[in-house]
Amino acid sequence: MSVVVERLAVPLTRVKISSDALHKLSALFTLFMLVGLFAFGNAAFLSVGNGLTVLLQTSVIGLLGIGMTLVIVTGGIDLSVGSVLALSGTVAGLAVKAGIPVPLGMAMGIAVGALCGVVNGIVVTKMRITPFVATLGMMLIARGTALQITGAAPISQLGEAFGRLGNGSLFRMIGMGSNGLPKVIFPGIPYPAILLVVVAVAVGFMLRRRSIGRHIYATGSNEEAARLSGVEVDRTKIAAYVMSGALAGLAGIVLMSRLVTAQPNEGVMYELDAIAAAVIGGASLMGGVGNVSGTMIGAFIIGVLRNGLNMAGVSAFIQQIIIGFVVIMAVYVDQLRSRR
Amino acid sequence: MNAHATRSRPLVEMINIHKSFGGVHAVEDVSIDLFAGEVVGVLGHNGAGKSCLMRVLSGAMAPNAGTIRMGDEDVRFLSPQDARRQGVETIYQTLALADHLDAPSNLFLGRELKTRWGNIDDKTMMEEARRVLHRLNPNFKNLSDPVSRLSGGQRQVIAIARAIYFKVKILIMDEPTAALGPAETAMVADLIRQLRSEGIGIFLISHDMHDVFHLCDRIVVMNRGRNVGGYRIEEVTKDDVLSLIIKGEMPDGWQPRGTKRTRQPGQNSI
Repeated sequence: MSVVVERLAVPLTRVKISSDALHKLSALFTLFMLVGLFAFGNAAFLSVGNGLTVLLQTSVIGLLGIGMTLVIVTGGIDLSVGSVLALSGTVAGLAVKAGIPVPLGMAMGIAVGALCGVVNGIVVTKMRITPFVATLGMMLIARGTALQITGAAPISQLGEAFGRLGNGSLFRMIGMGSNGLPKVIFPGIPYPAILLVVVAVAVGFMLRRRSIGRHIYATGSNEEAARLSGVEVDRTKIAAYVMSGALAGLAGIVLMSRLVTAQPNEGVMYELDAIAAAVIGGASLMGGVGNVSGTMIGAFIIGVLRNGLNMAGVSAFIQQIIIGFVVIMAVYVDQLRSRR
Repeated sequence: MNAHATRSRPLVEMINIHKSFGGVHAVEDVSIDLFAGEVVGVLGHNGAGKSCLMRVLSGAMAPNAGTIRMGDEDVRFLSPQDARRQGVETIYQTLALADHLDAPSNLFLGRELKTRWGNIDDKTMMEEARRVLHRLNPNFKNLSDPVSRLSGGQRQVIAIARAIYFKVKILIMDEPTAALGPAETAMVADLIRQLRSEGIGIFLISHDMHDVFHLCDRIVVMNRGRNVGGYRIEEVTKDDVLSLIIKGEMPDGWQPRGTKRTRQPGQNSI
C-alpha cells in the first residue's frame, strides 16, 4: 500500500514547486502588479525620486519586519517593536542631547532595544508567559518609559550629525546646472536603504547557514522535538527576541534621525505593519515557516501600497482598510494553497 | 547459567529510580540493567511508568531519586545532550522530528556539521544523510523535502538513522514499529538484530508480543510504576507476560519454563 502511495507521490512532488517558492512568486507578482497599477495612474510614481521615497519609507518597516520574522518563525510574536522603536529613539536622542557623541548615543539606543528583547525572551522562556502577553506588557512598559523620560515632549535641535543616518545618502552626485546653480544629478542611495539591505542579507544568511538559524526553524516547527534533539530551545528563543529588539532599536534611530527629532509618540501600531509584512511574505504564525526575502517583499507591498495610495489622494483611513484586506487575503490564499 | 553472569559489567544500571509528579508516583524504586549486545523489552500498560523510566535514562526527565551507573561511574543526565554524550540515543514514539525541516537537517539537528567558518555544511550533511538513509531503506527519496511530506515509514527511518548515525552504546526504542507496515517492521527487526550483534544494548518498549518474543533476550515488566519482574525470554510464555502486565504478578503456581528455545539449547533443563 505505502509503496503504491509513494510511487504516486513522487511525480506529484516533482511537478509541484515548493509551496514557499510559490507563495513568494505570488507575493512578488502582487508587488509588480501594484507598481504597474500605480505607475499607470500617475507617471510620477515611477520617478527616481519617488522610488527613493518608497525605499526610505519601507526601510523602517523592513527592519522591524526582519526582527518580527525571526520571532514568528520560533512560533512567537513580538508586539513590543513599535514601542521599543520609540524608546530606543528617545534614549539615543536624550543621550545626544546630553552631549554624548552621536554614534555612541545611537549605539545606546540599539542596546536599549536589545535589552527590551532580553526581557521579552526571559519572560517568555523562564516565566513561561505566552509571547502575546509578554510582549504586550513590554509594549506598554517601553512606551510608558519613552513618554516618562521625555516628559511626552519631542526632543528637537539634535544637530546635523544626528540627522545624517536618516537623511544622508551614498553616491550622491551634484553637478553644475546650466544656470550656474548646483543640480542634483543622482540623489544617491539613502543610508537607511543600504542599512536595510545589509541587515536583510546578514539575517537571511544567519537563518539559512548558521546553526542558530536552523534551530530557530526547528524550535518553531516542533519545540519538544527540538529540545529532545539537543537544541537549546530557550536560548534560541531569547536570541530571536533580542535580535528583534535590537532591530527595533535600529529602526528607531533611523526613524528619529530622519526626523532629526526624538519623538516618544512615534511608531504606534508599527508592530502590526511588521507582522503584516512577515505574514504577507509567507511567515506562519504557527511557527517554523517564514524567511527574510518573503518579509522584504511583504514590506515593499505595504510600502508601495501606502505610497501609491497617497499619491492617488486616498485618505489614510481608507489605506488602513485596504491594507487590512490585503493581510487577510494573503493569509487566506496561503491557507488555500497548503490545504490543497 | 545466566548468559550475562559471565560478562563483567552491565552497560548501564539504573538503581532505585524514583520519579513522581505531584502526588502521583510514576516510577517507584525501579532498578533495571542492560548488557552489551542485549535487547531488553520494557513492557507494561499505558501509564505503567515504562516511558517515564526511559525518559529518565534519555535525559529528557530528571529523577527525584536513584542513580544511573555506566561502567564504574555514576552519571547524571540533566538534558538529552548529556545522555547523548554518553552514547545513550533514543528513538521516541513521536519520532521527535521538526516537520518543516528536511531529512538531513533533522538527522543532524542539534549537532549540525559545520564548515571551517562555522557555517552549516548542507552539502556534506546531504551526502551523509543519503548514505545512512539508503543503507536503511534503498528506496528513500525526497531528501530535500520537509519531512512532513514523507510517509510514516520514511519518517521512522529518519528517526532511527538519527539515533544510530552517531556513536551509540545504548539505544532506547519506544514503540519503533507501531506506525509501520509489515515490510518496514521486518526492516526494523533486522536492524535491531544487527545492532545487537555489534554489541549495542537496546531497551525496546513495545506492546507487540510478536516483536517482544522474536527480538528480546530479556523482559522487564512494569505495573503501576513498579518493576514487577525481570525474566529471560525463554523462561516465560505470552500468557505469563500478559498476566504480569495486567495483574502485576505471575499466574498461580508459576514455574520457569523448562524447554528451551534454539538460542541456548540444553541449558536450564530439569
